[in-house]
Amino acid sequence: MTIMMPASDQAVLARRDEIVAALRAIVPGEGVIDSAAEMVPYESDGLMAYRQPPMVVVLPDTTEQVSQVLKYCFEQGIKVVPRGSGTSLSGGALPLADGVLLGLGKFKRIREIDFDNRAVVTEPGVTNLAISQAVAHAGFYYAPDPSSQIACSIGGNVAENSGGVHCLKYGMTTNNLLGCEIVLITGEIIRIGGKSAETSGYDLMGIITGSEGLLGVITEVTVRILQKPETARALMVGFAQVEAAGECVARIIGAGIIPGGMEMMDRPAIHAAEAFVHAGYPLDVEALLIIELDGPGVEVDELIGRVEAIAQGCGSTTLQISTSEAERNLFWAGRKAAFPAVGRISPDYLCMGGTIPSGALPQALARIRDLSEKYGLRVANVFHAGDGNLHPLILYDANQPGEMDKAEAFGADILRVCVELGGVLTGEHGVGVEKRDLMPEMFSEIDLNQQQRLKCAFDAQGLLNPGKVFPTLHRCAELGRVHVHGGKLAFPDLPRF
Amino acid sequence: MDTLKIRDAKDVEDAVRAAVASEQPLEIIGHGSKRLIGQPMATNALLDLSSLNAVVAYEPNELIITVQAGAPLSDVLSLIDSRDQQFAFEPIDTSALLGTPELGTVGGMIGAGLAGPRRIRAGGARDHLLGAHAVSGFGDSFKAGGKVVKNVTGYDLCKLLAGSWGTLAVMTEVTLKVMPRPESERTLLLRGLDDLTANRAMTSALGSPFDVSGAAHLPASAFRADIGGLADLGSAGEALTLLRLEGITVSAVHRAKALAALLAPFGVAEILQDAASAAAWGAIRDVRPFAADGALGAWPVWRIVCPPAAGGALGQALSRATGGDVVYDWGGGLIWAALPPKPDAQAALLRARVNAAGGHATLIRAPEQVRRNIDVFHPQQEGLAALGERVRHSFDPRSILNRGRMTRGAAT
Repeated sequence: MTIMMPASDQAVLARRDEIVAALRAIVPGEGVIDSAAEMVPYESDGLMAYRQPPMVVVLPDTTEQVSQVLKYCFEQGIKVVPRGSGTSLSGGALPLADGVLLGLGKFKRIREIDFDNRAVVTEPGVTNLAISQAVAHAGFYYAPDPSSQIACSIGGNVAENSGGVHCLKYGMTTNNLLGCEIVLITGEIIRIGGKSAETSGYDLMGIITGSEGLLGVITEVTVRILQKPETARALMVGFAQVEAAGECVARIIGAGIIPGGMEMMDRPAIHAAEAFVHAGYPLDVEALLIIELDGPGVEVDELIGRVEAIAQGCGSTTLQISTSEAERNLFWAGRKAAFPAVGRISPDYLCMGGTIPSGALPQALARIRDLSEKYGLRVANVFHAGDGNLHPLILYDANQPGEMDKAEAFGADILRVCVELGGVLTGEHGVGVEKRDLMPEMFSEIDLNQQQRLKCAFDAQGLLNPGKVFPTLHRCAELGRVHVHGGKLAFPDLPRF
Repeated sequence: MDTLKIRDAKDVEDAVRAAVASEQPLEIIGHGSKRLIGQPMATNALLDLSSLNAVVAYEPNELIITVQAGAPLSDVLSLIDSRDQQFAFEPIDTSALLGTPELGTVGGMIGAGLAGPRRIRAGGARDHLLGAHAVSGFGDSFKAGGKVVKNVTGYDLCKLLAGSWGTLAVMTEVTLKVMPRPESERTLLLRGLDDLTANRAMTSALGSPFDVSGAAHLPASAFRADIGGLADLGSAGEALTLLRLEGITVSAVHRAKALAALLAPFGVAEILQDAASAAAWGAIRDVRPFAADGALGAWPVWRIVCPPAAGGALGQALSRATGGDVVYDWGGGLIWAALPPKPDAQAALLRARVNAAGGHATLIRAPEQVRRNIDVFHPQQEGLAALGERVRHSFDPRSILNRGRMTRGAAT
């Protein structure tokens, strides 16, 4: 591990037995895990390069238990790390040695399906896909579809504001939420929103979404569900240059077409995917676009024609249009398997996730190529082309001394390039521990202080998931001080009318 | 009262710092189009952002536009319209409702966060604010969000700024998501449905795969006023239910036909085409039945947001209990209610029923004396209200910005 976490509180560690007993009094039976062997599965999340056994794992199954656990921890000054399914790719659920790992895995019940209000009320441990499955019989689905949707929990989706390949058209988690229940570190239970389109007062649900477990523990979620589009078809288009593919993306959007999904892969990613799944990808192109149109059949047919014309106008060298569901799925098979496909050609890989303005793609890929040479590490790029979310996969071998550090440095440089090109550090994976120390690349100290003041409004002691998102932790009292500048002269130098 | 004419973001910092030092709260305005909304404030000076009016960058292919907060909304709408784009949340023009001449600024549009009919499909202002530069009540300029459509770096402060009515920070620059303007629109028109039946028809339409982008119902009584954009469609005594379909022409035509078939049990639908459809939805968006210069111009107007399927029953009960009028949008999830004047704008009665339906209500139009004495924004459960106040405090501990606009009694 190369990242510094907050120093462990020795006084808390010394009281471990007492703490475990107190937690057992709240959550009986198997809900408290304190043996080293049984805690191993909780040592890391989807970012497996970082591991840390927690002090103790607690798996409550009611909101009341969550409330009591948090209240106890608050009163005793014990840190808490919330965890859903543990699929975070940024280390958002990485435990702390002196912290309670609070797992929501037992919250597995869908509480209500309300088709009239197009809403599902669910416990946070329910998987993303299970929500869609529960409403599929009536033609509905839940739109955000992170690639981990079979495993990731809806509570985790809220904490990370998860996206997916369809979010250009259908939005991220934050755009598909109606309500939530959270428990603050004090144990206080707060309900926000419901089945209405908007919440009252400040948009606190909006700020909790994507807050990476730093503001509260999510114990119930109400999501909006949609009717499934009548049909979907895809085009698979190859280009001899990345620039031409980028131009094609810009012209499609410029023509007023928002595809259900628009993905790009570069040559190394195409080759790795084709070798793995034999999707029929062209191997003599530099960039491959998969463009999916969804909606009524007549609309999809019309838009396929328009996109085809745009692609040809941009000099596509290969172009296939799916004529069946099987073929559409085959087009996607390679893209969806891109990560494991890269995993086959390299002992290890690091997946990055910055966002750039789509138009800067050729520049970004050129810079990544230069960095690849500089670091002597191969890289394959997959890209949510419509919204500029880049996923470079850095190939390395952790058994080679120093190579993991090199891969991480390479990844950090890529994210710096994203920010430099007008983009951001992360489009959908979150900051977590992985990008924590890069936050100053994007935000000034003043920006970060304002974010931390907001944290203080929820958790003044900084007990919830400390060590994530923010590189430097400040005391709330210090952040809350208002500095009175200048003298008492009101509004100097301003024109008055 | 002093008016401080802002030239740049640095001026805003200076003004806020000076206001902190002299303990003089500021009222933040652009064009002043929505000054009549909210609790009456206790402010000593106007911070006028109307000179911060530049378009900083417009990238149609990236689906983003960055403008200074004081940019006139009318100019920005024309600009994006010239590239066949729009703000998909359909910001409402409050001028007819409030009887003020101005459409307002982009900053005001975001600060108020009032979305129109397409909110059911495209989301609200909060879903389209991607980034902002703002000055907090500490007098510090800070950045929120970014300039790309997909971003999860740090807390999503943009969500808080949208709809905060200038009580958290002074936005100086905003980056918004723009979307293609649909090629065509069609509106299905059903006549003569009562509120409950119309609510069921809208629920059925919104639960269909036909991608409905507007679902509104105007009871017969809504037509007692002359309504631009709707006057041609109905005569007094006949309720109208409208369902909008947008997209490429072939698709809008196809879906209109399919939806008409689905809704056949509710009657034979007429179909409005592009300009007629747009005029009708403009009138609904801007709540023209309750226009300030119309028959109900003197009545207080409430904006009620509730679970959509509960809207019909709630609206009907409210109009029966008060003798008021209602207009439904968002498939029943948004109710505009104009109630006969009472000293409390009938807040107690209305809020009891709205609470029972799981909704919340904001008083959008009422005389200052009425707004002073009741909660303009919906009272929240204690813990949630306290959390909201701590959040406000984290941006503006001295209540320098629009002091008391969202909280009754906080102005003093």
